[in-house]
Amino acid sequence: MRQEPINRLSEKGLRVWRIYGIFQTLVALLVGIGAGVINYFTGQYIWLYIVDGVVILLIGYLLIYLFPKIRWTRWRYEVREQEIELQHGLFIVKRTLVPMVRVQHVDTEQGPILRKHDLSSITISTAATSHTIPALITAEADELRGRISVLARVAEDDV
Amino acid sequence: MSKEKFTLHPISAVINFVKVLKEMILPLIVVIAVNGFGGRGESEGWSSYIVYIIYAVLLIAMLVSGIIKWKRFRYWFEEEELRIEYGLFVKKKRYIPFERIQSLNYTEGIFHRPFGLVKVKVETAGGGATKEADAELTAISKEAAEQIKKEMSLAKNKELNILNEALQSENQVVEQRKPLFRMSQKDLLILASTSGGVGVFFSGLAVFVSQISELIPYETIYNEIIMFIRFGALLIALAVFFVLLVAWMVSVAITFINYYEFTIRVEDEEIIITRGLLEKKKVTIPLSRIQGVRIVENPLRQLTGHAAVIVDSAGGSLAEKDEKIRLIPLIKKNRINPILVQIFPDYHFEPNFTRVPRRSRKFFYRLDFLWMIPVAASVSYFFYPFGLMSLLLLPLSFLLGAWQHKTAGYWKDEKQLVVQYRLFSRVSLWMEKKRIQAMTERTTYFQKKADVSSIVTTIKSGVTGSATTIPSIEKADAENLMEWYEPTRKEPIDREKEQPL
Repeated sequence: MRQEPINRLSEKGLRVWRIYGIFQTLVALLVGIGAGVINYFTGQYIWLYIVDGVVILLIGYLLIYLFPKIRWTRWRYEVREQEIELQHGLFIVKRTLVPMVRVQHVDTEQGPILRKHDLSSITISTAATSHTIPALITAEADELRGRISVLARVAEDDV
Repeated sequence: MSKEKFTLHPISAVINFVKVLKEMILPLIVVIAVNGFGGRGESEGWSSYIVYIIYAVLLIAMLVSGIIKWKRFRYWFEEEELRIEYGLFVKKKRYIPFERIQSLNYTEGIFHRPFGLVKVKVETAGGGATKEADAELTAISKEAAEQIKKEMSLAKNKELNILNEALQSENQVVEQRKPLFRMSQKDLLILASTSGGVGVFFSGLAVFVSQISELIPYETIYNEIIMFIRFGALLIALAVFFVLLVAWMVSVAITFINYYEFTIRVEDEEIIITRGLLEKKKVTIPLSRIQGVRIVENPLRQLTGHAAVIVDSAGGSLAEKDEKIRLIPLIKKNRINPILVQIFPDYHFEPNFTRVPRRSRKFFYRLDFLWMIPVAASVSYFFYPFGLMSLLLLPLSFLLGAWQHKTAGYWKDEKQLVVQYRLFSRVSLWMEKKRIQAMTERTTYFQKKADVSSIVTTIKSGVTGSATTIPSIEKADAENLMEWYEPTRKEPIDREKEQPL
């Protein structure tokens, strides 16, 4: 069995994902309320109210609690001298290898929510693919970006 | 370095004109048709002619602009650059350094051939995003085209200061001029008659029909159709068959014309493809830009032992819309290897595939069942008697899945990976390790329980990537592949083996 990559995302990333989950649940809640209103004016079936409520609660549980937790525990990365290795995925575990020689450029990016939590995401691009590590402490991400770009320049095309 | 400025051959004015005309022909037909059929009643008088007048004016304007474009166009060589000057109203200049030029593509259209002319497309590496050639010389004599090539190699050699070597390589070129592959008339006919061009033709037809559908008086037609149905389904079937037959014959003719005298040669580390009956096309692909080689056998051609060879080329407007270039459109399978070995000496063309384990067969059809069962069930329910036919989808998709499972496999040596898979056609894809941009191991929950994993490899193809999946192989094999790809762990072995090169 191959070893998992060592590094994890920042704990704050988990919190940010939960915030995203809250937003998504709010949207679901609005839809659910809409469905409830329609039910009120058309049929007033009690069981429909119950189904409606249960579905929203379930969505909230999955999007705010369970999915972020699984995703966060699954997310690992490691930047070695010759390659970058990533592991992520909610239902499908994906482990990706990107040789340093293939790296074309590295970007860091920060949306409003990430900025508020002092986080950044970092995107590694090759000629044909791009790979994102979603939530790292900004200083860490900047440092990593620098390191990858140095390593990518040094890496020799041995093949 | 000469500073003489060259112009294009006058015929290019006509070519410019015809090119614009071609783009306008469909709306023109529609307009004429509308006025011819629907123009009765209110729109009588001069107003019905105004469209024609507009078109006449447009035609003249187009002809004049074609002539002006030709008059204005200049190209010359200066300071190791190809410089062109053009423009209808605004004068534009473009300087292309010779060293940036990736390839020169030649096309001989029907207007070119009587005068011994060619169209030259100049392509640079940066031209990818716009998908347009960086410069296009509409019509110049073949000698002039040769001169561009000469100026280019002259400039390049001056830089490197090795004229002698150039002379040598020129000798080599003469030796290698013999084509590696020439498609026989018989193969061409097989290609034409089995090609998927029918679909292309139908989509064209659909577009045309949608353009003129407004003119069709549906009510009268509807009544006629009712009559028609009374006449019997046989007639309809005959009509459909006739349309299909005509479509097929047209597509055969188109393929025949496009792929007539298809030959490939290798010169100067470049593959050169020439083809075409009316319009002779010449495409060059630098070998260094080739990322992967595919052998594609569709089921029909697999039966007759035929296959096609397709190469993935990186970047550039080279293949225009499609980054996958047909290197050999059709060939007997047993003739492929000798040819490919000559073009790609580094590839190993006799792979011994590791197949997918028996227990992962379920992964090839189970996911499809997930959406198919509810769909088939509801279709059966709502369209009761005939809807039941949709249940046939289930065994069919099972069979397809089993077939895909049987085909899937991979093979690797130190430097390359060969993947075989099937969607419907069987594809074998050769990738050099150094061309693989990234590799991912994917494991679903169920795959994990079955101790299997899929591997996804991505190579560059055109301006983006092309991902290929080796589905549900043994977990150990998948990890083995990851280790094979990982630079750090296999470094000691690699260094030893590759230093001698």
